[in-house]
Amino acid sequence: MRVLGIDLGSREVKIAMFDGDGLVFKDKMSTMSFYKECCSFDGILKVDVSKIGIDGFDVGISTGYGRNNTDLSRFKAINEIKAHVYGARFQTGLDDFILLDIGGQDIKVVKVEKGIMTDLELNEKCAASCGRYLENMASVLEVSLDEMSGFYENPVTLNSTCAVFSESELIGKIAEGVSLEAMCAGINFSLYQRLRPMLTKFKGKKLVVSGGVANNKAIHKFLKRDYEEVVTLAEPQWNGAIGCCYYGLKFF
Amino acid sequence: MKKIGITTTVPVEVLIAAGYEPVDLNNIFVTSTEYENYIDIAERDGFPKSSCAWIKGIYGVCIQEGIDEIIGVVEGDCSNTKSLLEVLSLHNIKIHSFSFPHSHRLEDVKKEIQKFMNIFNVSEKVVEEVRIQLNTIREKVKEIDELTYIDGKITGFENHLYQVSLSDFNGSPEAFSNELDNVIASGKNRESVNKAIRLGYIGVPPMTGDIYDYVENHNAHFVYNEVQREFAFPRYKKAANIYEQYYDYTYPYDNEYRLKELKKQIEDRQLDALVHYTQAFCHRAIEDIYLKSQLDIPILHIEGDKINRLDARTKLRIEAFLDMVYDRCPSNI
Repeated sequence: MRVLGIDLGSREVKIAMFDGDGLVFKDKMSTMSFYKECCSFDGILKVDVSKIGIDGFDVGISTGYGRNNTDLSRFKAINEIKAHVYGARFQTGLDDFILLDIGGQDIKVVKVEKGIMTDLELNEKCAASCGRYLENMASVLEVSLDEMSGFYENPVTLNSTCAVFSESELIGKIAEGVSLEAMCAGINFSLYQRLRPMLTKFKGKKLVVSGGVANNKAIHKFLKRDYEEVVTLAEPQWNGAIGCCYYGLKFF
Repeated sequence: MKKIGITTTVPVEVLIAAGYEPVDLNNIFVTSTEYENYIDIAERDGFPKSSCAWIKGIYGVCIQEGIDEIIGVVEGDCSNTKSLLEVLSLHNIKIHSFSFPHSHRLEDVKKEIQKFMNIFNVSEKVVEEVRIQLNTIREKVKEIDELTYIDGKITGFENHLYQVSLSDFNGSPEAFSNELDNVIASGKNRESVNKAIRLGYIGVPPMTGDIYDYVENHNAHFVYNEVQREFAFPRYKKAANIYEQYYDYTYPYDNEYRLKELKKQIEDRQLDALVHYTQAFCHRAIEDIYLKSQLDIPILHIEGDKINRLDARTKLRIEAFLDMVYDRCPSNI
């Protein structure tokens, strides 16, 4: 059975395909491009799967930001918490863990016990601890996200709660002659500091990190201070889409 | 009949034999439209914000409603009750204490109940006569429980309500018995309602009574109310006397003993998942660790505090939990 999973994220749409019980295809595109180039709206949002490189599927499952205000024809929508839990279970084989999903604008912390979600916390009002903050700060420093994510030693202190004020603060540090490495480390550390309050209620041994920011080496280093084991997923960015496929395979 | 307040289930047969009308103070507190006022009275008198809403509610009821004699359970229920009794004694309220012994030995239970009978100057013979009378009412509540988990005709909330009411028989065993007859008769005439997810409610009765209706909107229903059922003494037939009846009671004793009954009910009622409710600032929240490690069933732990409605975050947690439990339901696989 071919199961197509689509995760309609705030920054990117992730697409995954299972054939049998394994991942055979994955792709992603900007959210705007997806809606503009691959979808038509006729009272209901329709996806032209040929435009996303798919030549047919048996079951379609969607999740994510666009789930509640779009009704993709031929797709069953599931909530993103469930999608991410199933994705993490499929990718790790674990049944008991804390899942931290850091997306473009959303953060989810989910406690999973015996394979089922038993507690969760979501960010509200502010996305200064999400991927978009790192993107903005990297563009101020004119470095790539990947390069910036490698720095974690001697972080310069960045105090601002607000991501926009943080940019001004960073420009001040540039003017003070602070090294690029210390500024990159400071940016990573400031994101970790914003995340920490959300994690305090979620004690556990194993932390699984998903979402685009899971690839950030520095964040990974900082999180290791709080958990015995920080599990990196093979496909952190596709975790929601993979969870959709897993759900479609097992329960649909 | 003279009223006497109780802070939780006690051997009510002794009080009725002594000519009292027992009043479960928790029920007055939680069913009142002014329930928050009772908490305010306690906080104004110095009870900490970081203390149990039930204790504060009971205190407020005693002060506001002119309760002048109470029994507090100082062992086997809530460690705050001892302090509550001391504070209430400052208000010239007559205080009695009762203990469910931690040892959970029959001879110790017997000693405590005999002490209790001596306080109220009643004989074992009269108490036994009352116990036999009350057991006819307990049988009716057992039937209500079966109408929930076997027939699907009595809701989870009604199941909770009628079982929890056996702590004081709503102040009048005879009137309550008649009410139960009506509930059973009308329940039998209903259509069966069977939701996909069969839930067990474990832990103390909730502040948030709307949880029963809320889960029903998500294709689930409670078919087991653990502590409320214990308050109803469903195994009364096994007891040869009042001592054995209050010995065979899981709520005030150790969790190992409690687990045996829990496992049996999970099996008998074919439960898909449990919701474990604890009250904010209560030691019972720690028991969640033990229960989750010993029970092989999904368990969602939720906590209530001062408000008698589920908050948005708890609703979201319940919804997401049930969503995943549903995926595993035998009817859905």
